[in-house]
Amino acid sequence: MTFMLIISGLTTAPGVDVELGRYLSSECMTCHGTAKADSTIPNIFGLGQTRFAAAIKAYRDKALPNPVMQTIASRLSDDDIAALALYFQTAKKPK
Amino acid sequence: MTEISRRSFNLLAGASLTTLSTPLFAPSVLGQAKPRLIVVGGGPGGATVARYVAKDSAGAIDVTLIEPLKNFTTCFFSNLYVGGFRDLKSLRHNYDNVRKGGVNVVPVMASSIDRDKKQVWLAGGSRVSYDRLVIAPGIDLKWDSVPGYSEAAAQIMPHAWKPGAQTELLVKKLNSLKDGDLIVMVAPPNPFRCPPGPYERASMFAHVLKKKGHKKSKIIIVDAKPTFSKQAVFMEGWEKHYPGMIEWQDPKMHGGIKGVDPKTGEIKTDLSTYKAKLANIIPAQMAGKIARDAGLADQSGYCPIDPESMKSKIDTNIFVVGDAAIPGDMPKSAFAANSQAKVAAMVVRAELTKSRAFPARYSNTCWSLIAPDDDIKVGASYEPGEGKIKQTTGFVSQKGEPADVRKQNYKESVDWYNGIVADVFG
Repeated sequence: MTFMLIISGLTTAPGVDVELGRYLSSECMTCHGTAKADSTIPNIFGLGQTRFAAAIKAYRDKALPNPVMQTIASRLSDDDIAALALYFQTAKKPK
Repeated sequence: MTEISRRSFNLLAGASLTTLSTPLFAPSVLGQAKPRLIVVGGGPGGATVARYVAKDSAGAIDVTLIEPLKNFTTCFFSNLYVGGFRDLKSLRHNYDNVRKGGVNVVPVMASSIDRDKKQVWLAGGSRVSYDRLVIAPGIDLKWDSVPGYSEAAAQIMPHAWKPGAQTELLVKKLNSLKDGDLIVMVAPPNPFRCPPGPYERASMFAHVLKKKGHKKSKIIIVDAKPTFSKQAVFMEGWEKHYPGMIEWQDPKMHGGIKGVDPKTGEIKTDLSTYKAKLANIIPAQMAGKIARDAGLADQSGYCPIDPESMKSKIDTNIFVVGDAAIPGDMPKSAFAANSQAKVAAMVVRAELTKSRAFPARYSNTCWSLIAPDDDIKVGASYEPGEGKIKQTTGFVSQKGEPADVRKQNYKESVDWYNGIVADVFG
């Protein structure tokens, strides 16, 4: 059974598990839920799948420097990243 | 003594479920009353579970949070209040947005758990039934772990390991010190809440004294353990910012903590007796009383959990999150509690609505401020493994890092604080 897929109005994409993306996103919400323009922790809502996935893969490859993000990205598979990217493309930032 | 009906309980909570949106998927208990989750304890673990279950079940689960405090003061970042970087008000959070998220918040103390009847007894003698119970009671202090220390002694020698009045007392005493006065901290044995916390606190003591122009004041840390979190970078920072001011003693150096005397201000070790103007005694710790009284803790004083779900290993209808749990390789931190809460919330939602669950994943980062703009951090990812929550990857700040990295860490910690309190309290 799906959960919240309908409620959030999330789009779907073939082969991308957006429910998984929603679950994995809870880890991101510890830090990213209130990000502002001048935050060291950026806003990732509405970020576009391609840009989001490229950033996470860059952290996974240690091409971007922050060890917090490198650690988080290190265990994300390509499917995990695709799921998160789709989720954050359409999810609304909490008010 | 009566059992509170679902209707009256909702009224007691001051919230009506009619304000919630209609569930958009059919729960497995369609045609019956909604399944009920009770959460005991409204800190980073408990409030997160309550909010996430209410949100992700879209009203299909009746979620009640039992927390006597109207405003929760975070223990995390309280050292920044000690150091004068924040005021206490900035650490206080209410439950208005938790309520708005569809959680019945009941501002009373939960007094006990009847596991056989699946009921929680509340102060005043009423009780409420649960289908699933999450407890997040935090820690209690083992007063007798430091001979001579007690709840009464804490009014003279504060522990300040629970937020609020104790932290205010600590700061009041710190601000009254004169140059040449001695601070002695007794640091606790593992496992305890916030492993880097005592050493960040000592840094904040030193910062305040340095800012006041003290040249002769000294801080002695009498530690119950041989090593501590982020030790190398803390000690490097102490020598850089506060040379000669902080002295850390492991058990081989002091020979054992013999006791404290609140009347004289003395702290006795096997090798020395110190007379402190400020004694900060942080005793050993254990799971909160309600968890121990319910038989959910083992001989360690903490609660064993299933790493796949955060369920108690003693009662599968009960989850334990946060500092009261035995978290394997994870530290006892707000970040860890918030992470564990999301796993528990996911499993509760999946079990009570027969919806989809995912493999548990956990993470943690702890930031510590040594001096203005000199902040260090440690973090890791975790997954179930070898019967516990097992660390899979991790990092820790290194000695000799550039100043801009440490400054960025501090800014990041402030942004993290804003993020996590919004995640916990809405």
